[in-house]
Amino acid sequence: MESLEGRVAGLNITPPAAGAGSSMQIRLRGQAAFAGANNAPLIVINGLPIDQGARGVNGLGTPRDLGDNLSNVNPDDIESMTVLKGATAAAIYGARAANGAIIITTKSGRKNQGIGVEYSSNYSTQHALNFFDFQTEYGQGTGGKRPTSGANAATTGHFAWGERLDGAPTPIFDGTLQPYSANPDNLFGFLQTGTDFTNTIAMSGGGANGSFRASFSNTDAEGITPNNEYNRKIANVGINHNISKKLKLQLNINYTNEQQVNPPQIGTQGPGAVNFFTRLATSIPLSALKNSAVAANGTETLTSGFQGTLLNPYYALAVGQRYETERNRFLSTATLRYDLTDWLYVQGRYNYDFALSFTESHDPGGIGTSVPTNADGTFKGAYNLSESKGTDVNADFLVGGGKEFGKFSVDANVGGNTWRVKNNGFNQGSSNFIVRDLYSIGNGSVRSQSYGFSQYRVNSLYGWAELGYNNLLYLNFTGRQDWFSVLNPEDNSELYQSVSGSFIFSELMKNQKWLSYGKLRASWAEVGSSNGVNPYDGLLTYGISQNQFQGQTTASISGNSAPNRFLRPFSVEEKEIGLEMRMFGNRVTIDISAFDKITTDQVLDVQLSNSSGYNTSKENLGSLKNSGLEFLLEVKPIQTQNFSWTSSWNHAFLATKVLSVGAPSEIIVLNWGATGNEFIGQLRYVEGLPMNQVYARTYLKNEEGQILLTDQGRLIPSVDYVSFGSSIPKHTGGWNNTFTYKNLSLAVHFDYKLGGVVISSTALNANRQGHSKQSLVGRREGEKGVVFPGVYRSNEQPNTTAVDPATFYADYRNNQMGDIVTFKSDFVKLRNVSISYNLTDLMRKSNVLGFIKGLSVTASCRNAALLYKDIPDLDPEAIQSSGDFRSGYENTSLPTTRNFNFSLNAKF
Amino acid sequence: MKKFKGLLLISAIFFLLGGCDKDFIELNTNPYAVTDLDPALLFAGAQRSHLGGWETEHTIVQHFVNPFNSGATLGPNFNADIDNFNNGKWDGSYPNIIKNLVQALSLLEGSDRVNLRSMLRIWKAQVYMGLVDTHADIPYSNAGQAFLKGSEYFYPSYDDDAAIYADLEKELKEAIAALNPSGDFVSADLFYGANGSAKTTTATAQVDKWKKLGNSLLLRLGMRYSKLDANKAKTIVSEAFNGGVMKSNDDNAWVKYDGTLFTNGANGGLVNNNPYFYYAAEPLVEQLKTTADPRGPFIVATYANPSNPLADPKPVTDLASQFGVPVGVINTDLTKPAYRGAKGGGYNYSQMNVNVVASLTAPDFWVTYPEVSLLLAEAAQRGWIAGGEAAAKQYYEDGIKADIKRYALYPKSSAISDADIATFLASPGVAYNAADALKLINTQLWIAYIRNGTQAWANFRRSGFPALSPNKFNNLLNGGFIRRLSYPDYELAQNRTNYQNAVKAIGGTDNLTTRVFWDKE
Repeated sequence: MESLEGRVAGLNITPPAAGAGSSMQIRLRGQAAFAGANNAPLIVINGLPIDQGARGVNGLGTPRDLGDNLSNVNPDDIESMTVLKGATAAAIYGARAANGAIIITTKSGRKNQGIGVEYSSNYSTQHALNFFDFQTEYGQGTGGKRPTSGANAATTGHFAWGERLDGAPTPIFDGTLQPYSANPDNLFGFLQTGTDFTNTIAMSGGGANGSFRASFSNTDAEGITPNNEYNRKIANVGINHNISKKLKLQLNINYTNEQQVNPPQIGTQGPGAVNFFTRLATSIPLSALKNSAVAANGTETLTSGFQGTLLNPYYALAVGQRYETERNRFLSTATLRYDLTDWLYVQGRYNYDFALSFTESHDPGGIGTSVPTNADGTFKGAYNLSESKGTDVNADFLVGGGKEFGKFSVDANVGGNTWRVKNNGFNQGSSNFIVRDLYSIGNGSVRSQSYGFSQYRVNSLYGWAELGYNNLLYLNFTGRQDWFSVLNPEDNSELYQSVSGSFIFSELMKNQKWLSYGKLRASWAEVGSSNGVNPYDGLLTYGISQNQFQGQTTASISGNSAPNRFLRPFSVEEKEIGLEMRMFGNRVTIDISAFDKITTDQVLDVQLSNSSGYNTSKENLGSLKNSGLEFLLEVKPIQTQNFSWTSSWNHAFLATKVLSVGAPSEIIVLNWGATGNEFIGQLRYVEGLPMNQVYARTYLKNEEGQILLTDQGRLIPSVDYVSFGSSIPKHTGGWNNTFTYKNLSLAVHFDYKLGGVVISSTALNANRQGHSKQSLVGRREGEKGVVFPGVYRSNEQPNTTAVDPATFYADYRNNQMGDIVTFKSDFVKLRNVSISYNLTDLMRKSNVLGFIKGLSVTASCRNAALLYKDIPDLDPEAIQSSGDFRSGYENTSLPTTRNFNFSLNAKF
Repeated sequence: MKKFKGLLLISAIFFLLGGCDKDFIELNTNPYAVTDLDPALLFAGAQRSHLGGWETEHTIVQHFVNPFNSGATLGPNFNADIDNFNNGKWDGSYPNIIKNLVQALSLLEGSDRVNLRSMLRIWKAQVYMGLVDTHADIPYSNAGQAFLKGSEYFYPSYDDDAAIYADLEKELKEAIAALNPSGDFVSADLFYGANGSAKTTTATAQVDKWKKLGNSLLLRLGMRYSKLDANKAKTIVSEAFNGGVMKSNDDNAWVKYDGTLFTNGANGGLVNNNPYFYYAAEPLVEQLKTTADPRGPFIVATYANPSNPLADPKPVTDLASQFGVPVGVINTDLTKPAYRGAKGGGYNYSQMNVNVVASLTAPDFWVTYPEVSLLLAEAAQRGWIAGGEAAAKQYYEDGIKADIKRYALYPKSSAISDADIATFLASPGVAYNAADALKLINTQLWIAYIRNGTQAWANFRRSGFPALSPNKFNNLLNGGFIRRLSYPDYELAQNRTNYQNAVKAIGGTDNLTTRVFWDKE
């Protein structure tokens, strides 16, 4: 999937830095729906549609990234991968492809080839990139004084408002004396080099009537955080068989087993190594944090005043914090096609997708506390088990045919599909341990258990027709009706259609030698979808409390959403025009398209005033617009017998606009506060503005634009929140160059994203705790505090009052002011440099190694260089989770890595 | 052959069209969801309403202080208007308590369970009274009904505080009158039901308790008018008194926590998260010290290491060793010569007693007999109920005695002998005298209200006692006290029009110094 990055205009792929086995964020043509909906394109594997299913960090109580469904496919098994943008994809695949589709076909061997064996091996190392540039002048302390004792140091480890570093022995949190000097690389001393070793062996063959391919691959990976491991095994079989001249069978089976251990906790102010090491004063050495992590009574040694939120990962490692999940996935497709006549065929297809996963976690009780026991004398700690199972069945039939009548051609098909999903899951937990540190259900005096179940179905009927004239003009029509079980029975189906046409004008210009192919295309498509509506929405349910209070059972209304029984499907309407030309003997290719996509009646969690008793309610009220321009230019400046150079540039421009949010206030606020300790900013959808606006307060100014301050020289916030811009980048693109000389090829790939905005919580904390270079302003040579350039509110005279820097920078957080912590998320990167050498010719010439029918080796470097960024101390790509709730908000993701990759591919 | 195939095709299509959404209703019904249940369980789940927090209400009345100003802790301790501290009652009342009370009442429409209905109305009134006392105008008549009444109620308008109080008075009176001793017994009631902290087994006994609880709330409501309209106060107070208020600690509305499944949430921070932030304030400690209050050792203590009070096996609780952190002093100043300096991970001052009053298993009290008795003392002193000064003195002493005895319900407390109580009641600064009656009574209420922050703050504003000095750290409050908490920031975002109308109605600014209607200057 990463190979597609920056190569297809409009396809925005961001692999979040979230540990080994983590998910990806894939968006085609922007974010079509508000956060909370499924905004990724549909993945179709051999005709089996599956959602990308990213289980990414969303900040809403899920601090670990648990991968996605793409990891079920071995890239070496992929025969072809096509990206279908736009709602035309939906015309074929239905509502689930409203955000486009990525069509993957896996290999099933080739006819009339003897048995062949293929082996490929891939080894890569990941090295965390360090962009931190914190101050190294002041050490731990508060009020300009360093700690005076161990106990005193234990509560101020997070502050660097001490004295100038002088190397003198100074007490730290564990009572020892350490040199008062800078340790700027503690985080990177904790992180390790990640590795990933993948081996695949495949056997394929084919005769006159069919072909097959079977493969097995094994991946072993270690993430950059200690104890994060990932193993994956994939077995894949593809068979193609002509049972008779008219009857063809295609069978694909894929089984994946993944084991993910300790995916790192990221993305919230709380657990996580990055959160810990980047928020402690630089004068605390890494060795002390490692050696003194466990206190005498077995709990975590106090290192800072934020005992519950800055958690020492060395302690978690020492006492066995563990999170382990195993996922099994079985994907299978069987297709049978019968040719009734030479122009009419019937096809039936059955897809079966079965998923089973099991998770176990150990949460030691000593983390973030100095008291190992609870009020009733039991030991702190928690143990959790969960198992979930899902089955997805997709069955469809298709009747199609094509015929030519002179210069006209007609192709049509008609079909139906039923998609049935069933999910269930168990969860069990225990806490308040009787025996210390024994993680088992039986050991807990407080136990909880739950069982979740859901099922839904979508039935569809569709038809498609294409009329062609003389290879010159084509016209396509599609129509589809879907029935959704999750919607209100009185209004649960949607009929939608599309029409598109293409005009191959190069056929009329055959005498023009410079133009070899030219096509003009236009389309209009509509898709309906129930995305955002879950099974059983619409009914108010009650939750009976698991435990009795004072021996009395209590109950309350479940959840905070006022149920709505009358939800309708939402629709996406997309218009597109495009031009494709190949010129100068295929040496110059241009592909331009412009699209306009409007989503209406989107199912939104409309924000209510919580004095209504509820925080949200689902309504069909959202409407937004995504429009843009995509551009691909490919040039082959040099093409000789031995040497060639191909250069391609793709660029997409995306403009979004919120048309309606269904609330009288015309805004929807996504609260980050719910995630735990986040203290600044809001993500808003505002009518009339682009999506995903980042809002915070700003400086209070007078009419002349001067910043107003209190009589003590301190900041005054604006009354209202203001917009700092949209977090969605306006421009994305990439530039690829491939140089080939005989059997050697070199690829150099750049990509960029420009125009988005982000609030950095790392900057917010680094300022108010005294770690950032910004926080030096006010305590540099000769300065006695921050004299902020503004005027007093009372008399509008220039400010001359110095404010203690700790107090001054804390005001930004207290007042919710985003000014010095909002940055552009722009970047330009040298994404990939790779060299590969094809030794096949060499092998053929040799006598000994002649049995090797193909051999190539590749070496590459990913994230080779960051050429431009605006955000300080971080890689702009270290800010995203694969979901949309945290768009525009950076919060302690893992550092991104530079990866070195070596691979070998041999065919026998 | 062709015709047959064509027929097959067409029939297949019709079959599908007919069956395209068959079974959908059954498919979309959750077989495991609870969609119907006894509203008494919803009542039980909504009884533990918000009582006010250490860092907000108790800080405003100077029981408690967090002297740190490092960002997250800035709030009423330095006269600052911070959303994080303003929203406790709002967020703790509307989405959980009021929503469930309103739903339970709607489920009871047309039912003959009059007692449960009355209890719901009385309790709802109690919750709303706390909200009005905190914010002045609030959503009331249109609140809590997003599900029941639909989208017009998604953004409720705010009602006028005086009008809400008038309606609460009516609600209480009607609900009390509707209680029927031969009606239904609500066994789920956490106060007086089958598993209650003060169990009863019959409807008669339970109704008797709720009548007392309801009238005690009416008494509290009546007393609120003391500054604004003495006649109205007198009318309501005498009606409540005549209806019958709480007569002993057995009538208290309280719950206990078992320490395993449920702990006292408000004390969690003091015990588990950075205890070295939290100290007892000087005015409280001075009051306990100068009067040698026998409750003192249960309320405050000093520990070997303020950053881990629970680890200290022998906390020091004798009053002579207690010193409270002065109000309005920032933590970095506490190491200067004028103050007592650092100790362990914190400072050398008294903290709240985490083994007794601030324990994770400390009980919670909503309405108590000591409170009622002290309010009656003031009512008698003002002549609103019969008995004059003699009755006032009796109520006063009974109230203090009962409050001291109430501490027997706290973990790790010890019994105080009647002789010690008598000595305390006779000592200077406590002994009743008519001239200082209001000061004495309300200072004792200030102590009795420890861990009911909402009432401590409301009564302080109403009576003006104890005579605390305003927090002089800065001039954000113009030299006064916090008189209300401002509305949550998200109301400005989400409920804009109604929010702006409410701000206009309360005087033009959504700040901490605007007064609730009964808090006349």
